[in-house]
Amino acid sequence: MSAGAVPEPKSVTRHSKWSEEVEEAYRFQVAGYKGAEEYKAVKGPEVIDRWPNNGYIKKLVRKDGYFYYYNKERECPDKDVHQIKIYSY
Amino acid sequence: MPSDEKTKSKKQTKALVAEGFSVKSRLKNSVVLPPPSAGAFKENPLDKPTDFRYFYERGDLPIALEHDTKGNKIAWKVEIEKLDYHHYLPMFFDGLRETKHPYGFFARQGVHDMLEHGGSKILTVIPQLIIPIKKALELREHKVLCKTLKVLQHLVVSADMVGEALVPYYRQILPILNIFINKNLNLGDGIDYGQQRRENVGDLVQETLEAFETHGGEDAFINIKYMVPTYESCRLN
Repeated sequence: MSAGAVPEPKSVTRHSKWSEEVEEAYRFQVAGYKGAEEYKAVKGPEVIDRWPNNGYIKKLVRKDGYFYYYNKERECPDKDVHQIKIYSY
Repeated sequence: MPSDEKTKSKKQTKALVAEGFSVKSRLKNSVVLPPPSAGAFKENPLDKPTDFRYFYERGDLPIALEHDTKGNKIAWKVEIEKLDYHHYLPMFFDGLRETKHPYGFFARQGVHDMLEHGGSKILTVIPQLIIPIKKALELREHKVLCKTLKVLQHLVVSADMVGEALVPYYRQILPILNIFINKNLNLGDGIDYGQQRRENVGDLVQETLEAFETHGGEDAFINIKYMVPTYESCRLN
């Protein structure tokens, strides 16, 4: 299943306000990944299922092979925004 | 004289308790009891575990229990798209009656996930969902009512034609909604915190009926009005 070496992030930032970038990172981190890079490295370059209306992530496969499904609307609550790490490579 | 008064007061205090319309109730010193409660709002808690609980404990359901801080998601062992909706969706709906953790949480979240990702598969299962919905509403428990009403609102928007498909079943679903449509607190200028948490049953019933009318096609309003006479259209006028 593994497609390559997991890249090491160079830096981490946190945001204080919600944005689509935060929402994207939140969805990956709920499923146990740092972000899209790690997901691609672990699961291979599969196309990630996204909602057609806004492009939010719809489905992710966790490292143990179980599936997480996400809603059409924003899921990241305000109280968790500052905990979401945005990695840059 | 004082002894006479004493006996008089003694007679007055010794009231005879009688049920309404009985022979005793016609006596002068009888106190007629109020009619017994009809029990329209009486809760009927779950007396025996649901099938959902049985199947979950047996490990039949394709879901996994999580022990992390983000406790609002279900990990599915298989893709929802590949699930047999005829088998699993009624089973999850049956679990709506559960209030005990984790069954209640799994049933609610499972239903929402399946409705969100079911698409056209939901429509054909509607007839099998009516009995679990009716059973859940008939418990008349506050928590279960809120949960079921939110699920109904999600159900009508989950796929095309679902709203229309529910119209023939209004006779099963709406009587309970008719009972609870007025369950709204009048606190004057106080704050009902249930409104913030969307736990106000009266408001939820109103929202649900409006969703039914909006998505139920042209026959929806007249059918709702038949079962819930105090409902006024949100589309007409």
